Amino acid sequence: MNLVSLAFRNLKRRPIRACLSVLGIGLAVGSALALVALSHGIAQSARDGMGELGDDLVVMQKGASDIFGGFIPEKTIERIAAVDGVVRVSGELVAFAPTGSGNSVLTLGWPDASYLWRKVPLREGRVAVAGERHVAVLGDTAAASLGKKLGDELDLFGEAFRVIGVARYTTAINRGLVLVPLVDLQEASYRPRQVTMAHVTVEHADARLELARVREEIEDLGNIVTATADEVLDHDRNFALLEAVSFAVAVIAVAISALNVLAALAMATQERTREIGIFAAVGWSNGRIMKSIVIEGMMMCIIGCALGVLLSVAAAYAFPRVPTIGNLVSLNPSIGLVAPVIGAAFALCVVGALLPAWRAVRMIPAEALRRM
Amino acid sequence: MMDAIDRGAGFNRPSGARSLIALRGVSRIHDGGAIAALKNVDLQIREGDCVAVVGASGSGKSSLINILCGIDYPTSGHVIWEGRPIRKKRDWVWLRRLRIGIVFQEFNLIPTLTALENVELALLGRGMPAKHRYTRAGMVLGRVGLDHRPHHLVTRLSGGERQRVAIARAIVNEPKLLLADEPTGNLDSASAARVADLLFDLREMTGMTLVLVTHDDALATRCTRQVRLRDGSIVEDTLRTLTSGTIGSRSRI
Repeated sequence: MNLVSLAFRNLKRRPIRACLSVLGIGLAVGSALALVALSHGIAQSARDGMGELGDDLVVMQKGASDIFGGFIPEKTIERIAAVDGVVRVSGELVAFAPTGSGNSVLTLGWPDASYLWRKVPLREGRVAVAGERHVAVLGDTAAASLGKKLGDELDLFGEAFRVIGVARYTTAINRGLVLVPLVDLQEASYRPRQVTMAHVTVEHADARLELARVREEIEDLGNIVTATADEVLDHDRNFALLEAVSFAVAVIAVAISALNVLAALAMATQERTREIGIFAAVGWSNGRIMKSIVIEGMMMCIIGCALGVLLSVAAAYAFPRVPTIGNLVSLNPSIGLVAPVIGAAFALCVVGALLPAWRAVRMIPAEALRRM
Repeated sequence: MMDAIDRGAGFNRPSGARSLIALRGVSRIHDGGAIAALKNVDLQIREGDCVAVVGASGSGKSSLINILCGIDYPTSGHVIWEGRPIRKKRDWVWLRRLRIGIVFQEFNLIPTLTALENVELALLGRGMPAKHRYTRAGMVLGRVGLDHRPHHLVTRLSGGERQRVAIARAIVNEPKLLLADEPTGNLDSASAARVADLLFDLREMTGMTLVLVTHDDALATRCTRQVRLRDGSIVEDTLRTLTSGTIGSRSRI
């Protein structure tokens, strides 16, 4: 017999309470993990999506609160194209377009002559040709979730678009895209001659100094800001808010798991006051008594955290299969995300176990032995 | 030292024996002064003593024994172990782990553990390897006559057997002082007689000091010294012979 087996037996004495406490910890840790992974997944999907389009720079309106919130005039695209070192540039209008069935899809509008059309990895069909109007290319998960195939009509902003192609992007966000001619999206979303951003390919993008010079010259055009695919969300208030809310909810969820441990152990130590008196009477030090109680808390925490990780893995498997979520994000609870959540849960659970343990050893043993 | 032993009329306490534990002016007040469980008690127990603490209910017997083993603390006064006052809680922890064994009327065993594991509890604090703990606990259970039921949950044992487990737990660290608070109080007469015999046999074999709280006159008369408490004070402290009755008394009043 040792302290671990003693703690295990104490848990076994009240199996229902122990199971409910462990379940509470598991749900709290699982939800915290899922939330953190989800917010991280959304941001990462957006970054990956930008990266998959393969541009060196993205140009947006200076001070825009988020990537959907800023607009730049189309004529600025021509001025960017004239900057020395810029190989090619394309405007892009971004909108969440209502489909008429109550859902919205992330829709990109590209100019007829944009090089972006040529980079679309088609699974079937074709892309829009110059002058073609009211046509759409769908990412494969968008096509699946909307139930559309080549030749079908798709309602966007109340206007009919004919599906002419299905793309096979690899990132979750791009797989959920709908691509339409820029002019159609500008008209439908009442944004004539405006784009949300410009994609820019720089001649010597690998040379840091050259890239910095090009960025500076573009930003000198006024009221615009440049970003790489990795930086594009750094100042996005929506994503910052999403991450902050997710973090706050995750902290609350983890704190709930600590409260579970505290409540379970507080009740257990209350019920076992007499036993704690016995431990003291046979010469156990306060440290050893506290250790035995904390070990009990840690065992609940270990089992609860393992359950939480399993739940988050199950969520990672299930979420992408939910169309409204899977079209936008991929949930990946990596070690880098799991470790801090589990670490925080452990630290809080130890605190949650220490409090009843500390209260237990403060009692005079003779009084503890008098309790029933 | 042997020369100094007072052998008069079968009295077997060495008169020059060292003081093991002593109370100096100990009072224990409960409920903010409403109840005085002990009042200015002076008591010295020497190595090898066999002391019965007697008195009516509420006279302070259990308070005395609780303070002697440090599971309760005096409101005033000092407890002195082998000539040194005990002031720190950790000193008491050390004494209970290695020098003082306690047997309670209510047994105070952990119900989810077996007899052997309950005995092992007292060894857990000593940093002893698990195998040694197991062997030693088994051996001590054998000494109290329970070697045939080491793996039974204590809840499945009879009252007498439970008290024997409690005695095994109390002596497993070979204490110098064994304190027993009404050890036979919860037992039927046959079991009580067996437990009492066990306690006195163990004392005989090991030479440890025994302090026994009891209501049972027969049990008290088996001790060589009787301390009588009344209303929290010692009213009589008597050395007895085993064969011819009282040989002296020192009233503390």
